[in-house]
Amino acid sequence: MKRNASNVKSGVAREGANSLLHLLPFARPYALQFVLVFGLIVIYNATSVLQPYLVKIAIDKEISGPHIHTRGLFLITGIYVLVVLLGVLANYLQIVLLQYAGQNIIQKIRLELFTHIERQAMKFFDGNAIGRLVTHVSSDTETISQFFTQFFLSMVRDGLSLVMIVVMMFALNVRIAFYAMFLIPIIFLVSALFRKRLRIAYQTTRTRLSNVVAFLAENLAGVRITQMFHQEYRQAQRFDVLNRSHQTANIHEYYVSVQFNRVLELLGNVAVALVVWVGGGEVLHKVILFGTLYAFISYVRQFFTPINSLTQQWNTLQSSMVAADRVLRILQTKPAIEDPLLPQEIKSGLGKIVFDHVTFAYKQGENVLHDLTFTIEPGSFVGFVGATGAGKSSVMSLLMRFYEVSEGRILLDDVDIRHYRQQDLRRVIGIVQQDVQIFSGTVLDNIRLFQTQITEEQVIHAAKIVGADDFICKLPNGYQTNILAKGANLSMGQRQLLAFARIAVQNPRVLILDEATASLDSQTEQWVQRGLQTLAVDRTTLVIAHRLSTVRAADQIFVLDQGRIVETGSHSELFAARGLYRQLCEKSGVESAYVLSTNM
Amino acid sequence: MRQYLITKKWSYTTAIFSIILSEIVSVQFPHVLGEFTDALSRGALTSVLIAHYAFELLVIGILYVLLYGVGQMLNGRSGRIFEYQLRKRLFEHWESLSTDYYQQRSIGDLLNHAMNDVRAVREALSGGANILTNAVFLLLATLYMTFTTISVQLTFISMIPILLVPVLVVWFGPKIRTASREVQEALSAMAEFTEESLSAVRLIKATASEEVEAQRFSRKVQEIVKRQMHMVKRSAIFQSSIPLLGSLSFSIALLYGGLLTVSHKILLGQFVAFTLYLAMIITPLQQIGFVINNFQRASASLARLRVLLSARPSVVDSKTAISLPHVQGAIEVKLDFFRYPNSEHKVLEGIAFSVQPGQTIGIVGRTGAGKTTLANLLLRVFDPPRGAIFIDGVDIRDVVLRDLRTAIAYVPQDGFLFSTTIAENIGFAKAEATPSELMQAAKDAMVYEEIVRFKEGMNTQIGERGVTLSGGQKQRVAIARALIKNAPIMILDDSLSAVDMNTEKMLITRLKQLRTKKTTLIIAHRLSAVFHADQILVLDEGRIVERGTHEELLQRFGIYRTLYDLQQGEQGVTV
Repeated sequence: MKRNASNVKSGVAREGANSLLHLLPFARPYALQFVLVFGLIVIYNATSVLQPYLVKIAIDKEISGPHIHTRGLFLITGIYVLVVLLGVLANYLQIVLLQYAGQNIIQKIRLELFTHIERQAMKFFDGNAIGRLVTHVSSDTETISQFFTQFFLSMVRDGLSLVMIVVMMFALNVRIAFYAMFLIPIIFLVSALFRKRLRIAYQTTRTRLSNVVAFLAENLAGVRITQMFHQEYRQAQRFDVLNRSHQTANIHEYYVSVQFNRVLELLGNVAVALVVWVGGGEVLHKVILFGTLYAFISYVRQFFTPINSLTQQWNTLQSSMVAADRVLRILQTKPAIEDPLLPQEIKSGLGKIVFDHVTFAYKQGENVLHDLTFTIEPGSFVGFVGATGAGKSSVMSLLMRFYEVSEGRILLDDVDIRHYRQQDLRRVIGIVQQDVQIFSGTVLDNIRLFQTQITEEQVIHAAKIVGADDFICKLPNGYQTNILAKGANLSMGQRQLLAFARIAVQNPRVLILDEATASLDSQTEQWVQRGLQTLAVDRTTLVIAHRLSTVRAADQIFVLDQGRIVETGSHSELFAARGLYRQLCEKSGVESAYVLSTNM
Repeated sequence: MRQYLITKKWSYTTAIFSIILSEIVSVQFPHVLGEFTDALSRGALTSVLIAHYAFELLVIGILYVLLYGVGQMLNGRSGRIFEYQLRKRLFEHWESLSTDYYQQRSIGDLLNHAMNDVRAVREALSGGANILTNAVFLLLATLYMTFTTISVQLTFISMIPILLVPVLVVWFGPKIRTASREVQEALSAMAEFTEESLSAVRLIKATASEEVEAQRFSRKVQEIVKRQMHMVKRSAIFQSSIPLLGSLSFSIALLYGGLLTVSHKILLGQFVAFTLYLAMIITPLQQIGFVINNFQRASASLARLRVLLSARPSVVDSKTAISLPHVQGAIEVKLDFFRYPNSEHKVLEGIAFSVQPGQTIGIVGRTGAGKTTLANLLLRVFDPPRGAIFIDGVDIRDVVLRDLRTAIAYVPQDGFLFSTTIAENIGFAKAEATPSELMQAAKDAMVYEEIVRFKEGMNTQIGERGVTLSGGQKQRVAIARALIKNAPIMILDDSLSAVDMNTEKMLITRLKQLRTKKTTLIIAHRLSAVFHADQILVLDEGRIVERGTHEELLQRFGIYRTLYDLQQGEQGVTV
């Protein structure tokens, strides 16, 4: 069992390591920088190891030696200062250069990741929560960058300085150096043990703190409810429980970290005492000079920093492997819908649409559309009606090629839509949906969707067509007004009008309105309808409506039921046929609404 | 703050005392090594003496670690308890403040105060106390030791560079902090952008805007790199200059101290001890700088917290408030006009109506007609003018808030629920409610059948960490929460908007049965929720424009009739 677990663990580790290797190509252009950084670290380390050695020479040769030279002392101090300056310079360059490389690598990974995600078909977004994708782009990449910066740096810098210290010690005196070696495993062990405890304590504190934050945020948002129900006391008690448990964890975490630091310090002090004891004997028996002992004391103290920092890197490595794994999994997902190698140019057709025996399923085996065949003539106005789940929206998604048909084909101006590039196809088909997405930015940019080749005049023109110009001009800065997050400063109707203006500016030859007015209240809908009607002129227009009054005037109405077209015809034909359409009409009292729509 | 320090005075005194002690111990360390060296150069060293010195060093090492560790822990503990108490106070304070306070502030801001400002104060209090005591005493002790045992001149001259260390920290610290905040801002701007863009991915695809988005994203990422490099350069200079200053001091000590040793003005042991002292005080000097920065930040935080805590609730019990424990449910409204504080606009004007106990009143009108404001006044979320609203004949301004709100059960528009279990939400106002009472309330609110379909039933966790309820479910749970109060007055603030028509019908029938002797106010956008009301008020632009029963209003062919016709056509195929 135990063996099994460790197998799994090493498997994960191997995969993570593999993922990191797969990301290495992103680092390749910066190979030179990494080599330079390596060189600079060597210089920096050499300078810091040299410093105690120089002092040793000064003590043994110039200060307490048999032949005292003041000139020698000046010389040594001069060299010392030079060495220090060189080290500082190398250190500065190393930090900047390494960050430069790391940041650029991460920039590339981020860009690649983002464009790759956007290339995915809609199916991908059905299965991947947006919050998680955002985490991949923002924080996972950040964690990976720590591998290139912190991990790499620590391995080289700390590893190297450890080696150098050991070499210097052995060069000075093998016996004392040999004793000092016993310290290394002890420091590693103590660090590793405490690291684990520290990590657990830290995580506990973090979790409890986020509980406090979550509770606080929610209660600030709902303070009205608490007051209204007069539950201030009880909520305060609940807060107290969370707050107190965070306090306990917080104190515990601090204790562990104090203990850790003090134990390391204790080890250092004991080590120095031991060096004095052992080394003192050697000095007494004239085996070594006093300066050597002095250098040993400095080196023993220098031991602790690199070892401590090396044990820290174990965590960095693990978390960046996990992050690399996640990022790579996304990068290796091929988009479910790809453009043909030799795409057909989209001709300036009229917008004729043919569904030819189309069958479709989101999940294999659960067909949502069954063998759909119909033709929509260019320039006509077509309605799709049916109960929720009848498949109306799926028809539109297929036409936009958000999803791929399972069987059959869809033709636009007599060409299978799979022969077009997706972007070309979507430039000629415009869709307005029920929920309007708003970007943070100006009204202008929201209408032209940041496509700077669209001029302000074109945008204003489009807004006028759909009747959005009026309200936009009344906003504080007109078209330059910034829209707050999620369109908080716009009403539903205004947002919907923006969406219509977006489409008008794109000027597509086919227009799809997918329950575009469903979320509006009755009054707003009236003026939105007007914008919509102007938009529909001279285009092939497909309308999904849950208010039957919207599609009364359609040239043709398709009635869908459970993924099949059950009735086709104009309103009067269908009404006369006394089928499903008639039933739907009667249920929704379309006749009473008719009075209003003629009044419009 | 001061009070807190006083209550913890023993803990602080012990902590500071033990830190000072630890410093006195620790400055002996170079001293002993120095003596060792001198004994050596005098040739007086024996192996017994070596063991003696080594043992002394060991004792010093252990004592220091113990004393300092204890001091640190005590201080750290007090600081964290302070943090806890401050948050507790803030929370209780916030609970007492009225809605107008929250309208002017974002929750994010308040959270920021509660988390970051409190932490900044704590850091200064515990970390600051540790480090400052440590650094100051170490510095003093070192100076004392070097002055008395080594050389005043040597000390002065070689210390010049390292005395710049705290200056450097104070100067660079805020700059680096600003730079790092800018990096964080760029990072969160990118995350926000990604979220927004991916949420709109369908639109982006539909309009073939993938490249535009990629370019916009690229700009965000470049900004991060730019800011990051800016920060790194600053902090690299900072990080490199502290060891530089330390080494400069050391080289002066080496040269000048060396010369003094050579000319026998000081002994080799004194020289050795001095270099060790120098190494010892670099860290504390650096820390003094950090502490100064910490204190600056903390005093700003403390000032902000003080402002927060001095806010007073705008809706409070009047001095002559009377208790009204048994409300019958008669409401009388005689409101000339009402406008929100700091606003010129009259939200309500000339509102007069009365409700007998047991009646149901419907209030309808467009968004912005003033319906919710009316509910807010009744509940004293905002205070109405005196002499405007009466319950059982008593001006609500003279009623104890607690009694007023106990008498009214309120269902908010958004169906706000807490992220706990469904049962806890329903029993929010009634801690002692039995499981069967909770169940009954859920049944009355027509949501029980859906609740039992969840695996955990009534104990289902809702919100981010549990199941997400639909809008209609939330509203009905909120109704159950109000029903369990069994209050003489109930206000439903457009709280059936997301409930489907059939359920709405059943719910209203059930409400009618349950609230026969009690007063019910139903605010609605959908007229079907108020058909049955004894009286319907139609609000428009803050005024009552029509009133009467459903049938009466239909006959009048006014706004009500227009709304009715529109909504009849709206019901469509979604039924």
